[in-house]
Amino acid sequence: MQLDSLLLQQTSLSGSSQSPRSPSTQPFLSVSVTDPAKLGNGVQSYISYRVITRTNLPEYQGPEKIVIRRYSDFIWLHDRLFEKYKGIFIPPLPEKNAVEKFRFSAEFIEMRRQALDIFVNRIALHPQLQQSEDLKTFLQVDEETMERARSQETGIFKKKPADFMQIFKDVQSKVSDAVLGKEKPVEESNPEYEKLKNYIFELEEDLAEAQKHAFRLVKRHKELGQSLSDFGKAIKLLGACEGNSLGKAFSELGSKSEMLSIKLQKEAHNLLMKFAEPLKDYVRAVQSIKATMAERATAFKHQYELAETIKLKEINLDKLMLIRSDKVGEAEIEYRELKVEGEEATKKYEMIVQLMNEEIVRFQEQKTWDVGVAFHELAKGQAQLANEIADAWRSLLPKLEACSSAQT
Amino acid sequence: MATITTQRSLSGSSQSPRSPSAQPFLGITVTDPVKLGNGVQAYISYRVITKTNFPEYQGPEKIVIRRYSDFVWLRDRLFEKYKGIFIPPLPEKSAVEKFRFSSEFIEMRRQALDIFLNRIASHPELRQSEDLRTFLQVDEETMERARSQETGIFKKKPADLMQIFKDVQSKVSDVVLGKEKPLEESSPEYEKLKHYTFELEDHLAEAQKHAFRLVKRHRELGQSLADFGKAIKLLGACEGNSLGKAFSELGSKSETLSIKLQKEAHHLLMKFEEPLKDYVRAVQSIKATMAERANAFKHQCELAETIKLKEINLDKLMLTRSDKVGEAEIEYRELKAEGEEATRRFETIVRLMSEEIVRFQEQKTLDIGIAFHELAKGQAQMANEIADAWRSLIPKLEACSART
Repeated sequence: MQLDSLLLQQTSLSGSSQSPRSPSTQPFLSVSVTDPAKLGNGVQSYISYRVITRTNLPEYQGPEKIVIRRYSDFIWLHDRLFEKYKGIFIPPLPEKNAVEKFRFSAEFIEMRRQALDIFVNRIALHPQLQQSEDLKTFLQVDEETMERARSQETGIFKKKPADFMQIFKDVQSKVSDAVLGKEKPVEESNPEYEKLKNYIFELEEDLAEAQKHAFRLVKRHKELGQSLSDFGKAIKLLGACEGNSLGKAFSELGSKSEMLSIKLQKEAHNLLMKFAEPLKDYVRAVQSIKATMAERATAFKHQYELAETIKLKEINLDKLMLIRSDKVGEAEIEYRELKVEGEEATKKYEMIVQLMNEEIVRFQEQKTWDVGVAFHELAKGQAQLANEIADAWRSLLPKLEACSSAQT
Repeated sequence: MATITTQRSLSGSSQSPRSPSAQPFLGITVTDPVKLGNGVQAYISYRVITKTNFPEYQGPEKIVIRRYSDFVWLRDRLFEKYKGIFIPPLPEKSAVEKFRFSSEFIEMRRQALDIFLNRIASHPELRQSEDLRTFLQVDEETMERARSQETGIFKKKPADLMQIFKDVQSKVSDVVLGKEKPLEESSPEYEKLKHYTFELEDHLAEAQKHAFRLVKRHRELGQSLADFGKAIKLLGACEGNSLGKAFSELGSKSETLSIKLQKEAHHLLMKFEEPLKDYVRAVQSIKATMAERANAFKHQCELAETIKLKEINLDKLMLTRSDKVGEAEIEYRELKAEGEEATRRFETIVRLMSEEIVRFQEQKTLDIGIAFHELAKGQAQMANEIADAWRSLIPKLEACSART
């Protein structure tokens, strides 16, 4: 059942809406991010998207709702989820910055639209995240309300995942702290979790490298395509100044080259959208995991420090009780409050640990599937391109053979 | 018959003729490039092996050692002596310093020098050249002496002749500068040929430039595939299970394909781009011959003008019964002989060029046809291998993504 709905809603990852099997019984929530439009002028111009929500969930104004959103609205949603659902790997967003001249290129806009669509749908698929109030707000309120919500949050939720990364780095820098003579930092000593951390760090590095080379492959396809096109044009010009069968051979060769150039550009685009971008998405997902690990480290540290403080307070309280000080009452209240805080902190930490365990399993499954699909797309696209190239060149051979034997 | 036999040896391999002692043949091989000398004075020497049954040669086989400047010497002497004939072109002189001893450059040059000699050997007139015999037979010291001797007399290089040609061609600027109208043939058919040759050179140079870029792009794509393959394999090492295996196989396949791309890049270079470049050089050789023809025409015209003036002057002197008549008559007769000589030379060039154009068209059509064929064949084969490689991965990747 769970797998079925996962698969059902996963197909809407491509951005197309899907009707459920039994309209009113099976609960569904599917979102499309479409129709990027450039608004505003000059340096203040930005892209807005239509976000279409189709659902039969009672909490939503259904069955269909359309709102207009921009990139910063998505960031707002991401940050609020990150704050509220500690322990859960929040689906990653595409990068904020882009080289200025590239920012409004059709390719960049399409890549971003696809990534945003995937982002929202992953939230909609997640058993806990899909219940978020903030998601409801994001998917339903009008633009002015959304803008107000966005500007309100700068105060409270100023801590960005980047800041957490810094905390995480602090916690991780054992060696330098020991060297600097600081006290030994507070950290979990769970060997299985250590293994996971190591794996995640290694994975991020290897993935970043692979993704870099995947993008380079896209570039090389484009360059080869461009060269073939230039070559084709030059050969056709050559053919125009020759006569007879040689001139015709030149022309056909030139035309074939230009045609193959187009195929190469197509495959370059296909490689980008179906392979390089998914790899990049994988990198972002791993970074999201690292951000969650930072949250866990923070929660652990907090819980640990509180425990230490409570111990000290306990000792102090016993002391005060022995000497029958009049500060005992106050100290007792403080102590009880701290204990409550301590239990709260421990609960929060244990919740993160439990959620993370579930999240890791979901992540592995989803990622294995996603990467498998991406590899499949790569192999398929490349095989098809190569076949078309082989056919094109082979179709020229008989005419060229006729050409080179006709003269002798 | 003999032409076809020696043309096969264009590929660089020696060929035994059909009936050893009856069919005259001259087959040359340029092989075994070896780096000699040190530092800035380092150079490449080649073994030149001549197999022939010509009586004028020390046959049946002779091996000599030659360097690039020896080939230049031969080309320059042939250019001087066989005006009207398109002298086969040489590969370029300079190369970027760091590239000069790369194995690829050396191989390209060796191939071009081999083709150069064999074209001379298959040309009905050029093959009879004394200088060719010298080049193919004398020892290195004698060759070096011959080379250094020639700097005086044969200082005019084709580049200089190109300049003369440019002068002749610059009609417009001459008129603008108020100079007299330059002397030029007014044959519409020849005009057409000149136009065709200039246009062809432009287009060919452009095509060759892009062919070379294609080679470069193949190499770059191959390099990227190799880098990608390595990165994917590293990724696979840190994953387990079937996904890790899929990564590994994908990585290995990419590395395999990278090698295929590098091979095809080399194939494209040697069998397509180089022949195109050779075509460019051949057209430049034609332009140099056209410059010679323009020169000869101008010389012949100017002599004709001078002779007319001398004739008028002679008549004048005869009328006034001057004692200078005898002298003037001798001068006049000498000039007339010179004029006839100049006209003969010009007409020989015109005649030879007509034959040469026909030979050139035939040979070039054949060469280009072969080059295109190689291009299409190589590309089709590589693409097939690439398609097979990727297709072999698909079942395994399908298994991977279907598991869930």
